[in-house]
Amino acid sequence: MSFEDKIAELTARREKALAMGPPARHEKRRADGIMNARERIAALIDADSFAEWGLLAVSIRPEDHDRSAGDGYVSGTATVDGRDVVIHAADFTTLGASTSTIGDKKFHHAKNNAAKNGVPLVLLNECAGSRIPDIMGAQGLHRAGEHSELWRDRSSPWAAAILGLTYGDGSFYAAMSDFVVMRKGAVMAVSSEHVTAVALAETNDPRDFGGWEVQSGVTGLVDRVVDTEEQALAEIRRFLSYMPSHSQELPPRIAPGEPGGDAEKLLTLLPENPKRAYDVRKIVEVLFDKGTVFPLKERFAQTAFTALARLEGEVVGVIAINPMFKAGALDADACDKIVSFIVLCDSFNIPLITLADTPGFMVGAAGERQKMPGKIMNYLQALGASTMPKLSVIMRKSYGQAHLNMGAGYADEMAAWFTAEVSLMGREPAMNVLHRMRSGDTPEQYAALEAQMARDTSAYALAAPFMAQTVIDPRETRDWLVRMRRLHQRRKTNGIGAHRLSVWPTTY
Amino acid sequence: MKRTPVLSELSGTIWEISVATGDVVEEGQELLLLESMKMEIPCIAPVSGTVVEIAVAKGDAVTADQPLIWIA
Repeated sequence: MSFEDKIAELTARREKALAMGPPARHEKRRADGIMNARERIAALIDADSFAEWGLLAVSIRPEDHDRSAGDGYVSGTATVDGRDVVIHAADFTTLGASTSTIGDKKFHHAKNNAAKNGVPLVLLNECAGSRIPDIMGAQGLHRAGEHSELWRDRSSPWAAAILGLTYGDGSFYAAMSDFVVMRKGAVMAVSSEHVTAVALAETNDPRDFGGWEVQSGVTGLVDRVVDTEEQALAEIRRFLSYMPSHSQELPPRIAPGEPGGDAEKLLTLLPENPKRAYDVRKIVEVLFDKGTVFPLKERFAQTAFTALARLEGEVVGVIAINPMFKAGALDADACDKIVSFIVLCDSFNIPLITLADTPGFMVGAAGERQKMPGKIMNYLQALGASTMPKLSVIMRKSYGQAHLNMGAGYADEMAAWFTAEVSLMGREPAMNVLHRMRSGDTPEQYAALEAQMARDTSAYALAAPFMAQTVIDPRETRDWLVRMRRLHQRRKTNGIGAHRLSVWPTTY
Repeated sequence: MKRTPVLSELSGTIWEISVATGDVVEEGQELLLLESMKMEIPCIAPVSGTVVEIAVAKGDAVTADQPLIWIA
């Protein structure tokens, strides 16, 4: 065989593989406005930066060699905003990107390359589930777990997109990720409706059990929801812009930005009536750099608002309690969401800022059935074991055990707004529990006893024994955060934490 | 006509009702205040429409997920 023939053969093999699955499937996707794997990669990365591996890999079954280009996955390395990443993208046109021996081998190659070299892993997912007959039988199934380790240690960030019907490994690997964006219309589930129909006699539309409403609002597995493919890829770029390439590096800095709003606005956003709710998201927008607040799991457990943001160009993680939802009472889902966020910040050297206004953890039968004591302690354990700098602001209420979880004893610095009110519980319930009195009963006696408790719950009561480091006017908050974040850089370890949470679960 | 319930977010007491049957309301409008966890929690219209039924009165104790108001 001459070189000419060899070149022709290589070219022909590459072209066939680059075409992926049958043309009819590509036409159908184009008609539906859905990208294929290669179009997605091109839309995600810096132009012409993709170096692929496994282009000429095919199914382990000889009878499928001709119809299993790349064995259903497009995989390799590229740059995103100038930084190296590893990408593993499902090609649904090839056997539904179903899980198979060689396709999975490519996944592990991608995963290991990301971990060994300290670069983010990007997963662009669709998956029909396990390939039949490849994964059938004792050997077929067992082989799927045999050739590598499935766990990860968060040594580099993972970002996943759910872009179509995604079952089995496509969902599992997304659930292992630090960030998941989902396109409306896509599905994330363990099994398709065909399997559930046979196994459970359930005949649901998969969008009912694994659609975006469920995964972003009920389970919290999905961090962001978008309408289009392009938006999903842009969200991945945005997430990565807050992340270091690996856990031994600091998140990327950018030039300091303007504040998101005039500090004077804080005195109107925060109601003077301490019983009135407000939307803490508006306060967060004002405090951090303009246009940098990037909420995660915003539709899930809305009492706890969690977001990545920038403060004078530096990445910070924000946990803000939102009295707009459930009066700011933290329930089991809110605890899970906060733990997941603390783990993210701890793993990637992101300082944590907490903004508290909570009447406490949710009490009552519903909470107890969701194992509230365990949830509260997981949250406290995460806070205590994590080593990133922590700044805590008590905006208004900080009651009961929740005060400890919002930073008491754990924060490097605590500031109390002059509106802060800290105690075991609110004055009225305390009056009821302690004195069995309600407002309206013997008003004079009530007022005298209540006044005593009021004095003891103020911001100044916290500042006097140096429990809070300062009492501030809300308008001074950004300046305080900037100065304290600048101090708390852990210079001796170059800002790199101990990452004790790096092997904590990837979902809660 | 499709009736949409406005559900109570928490167990608590009806503090104040700011609409009446027959009122036309906009999505996002505050319909009533619920007192719970010692906070006044606004209940917001999930859709635009007409208030066709107010199922509670001031001072009533309600439980989480109980329909308070119906909009059609």
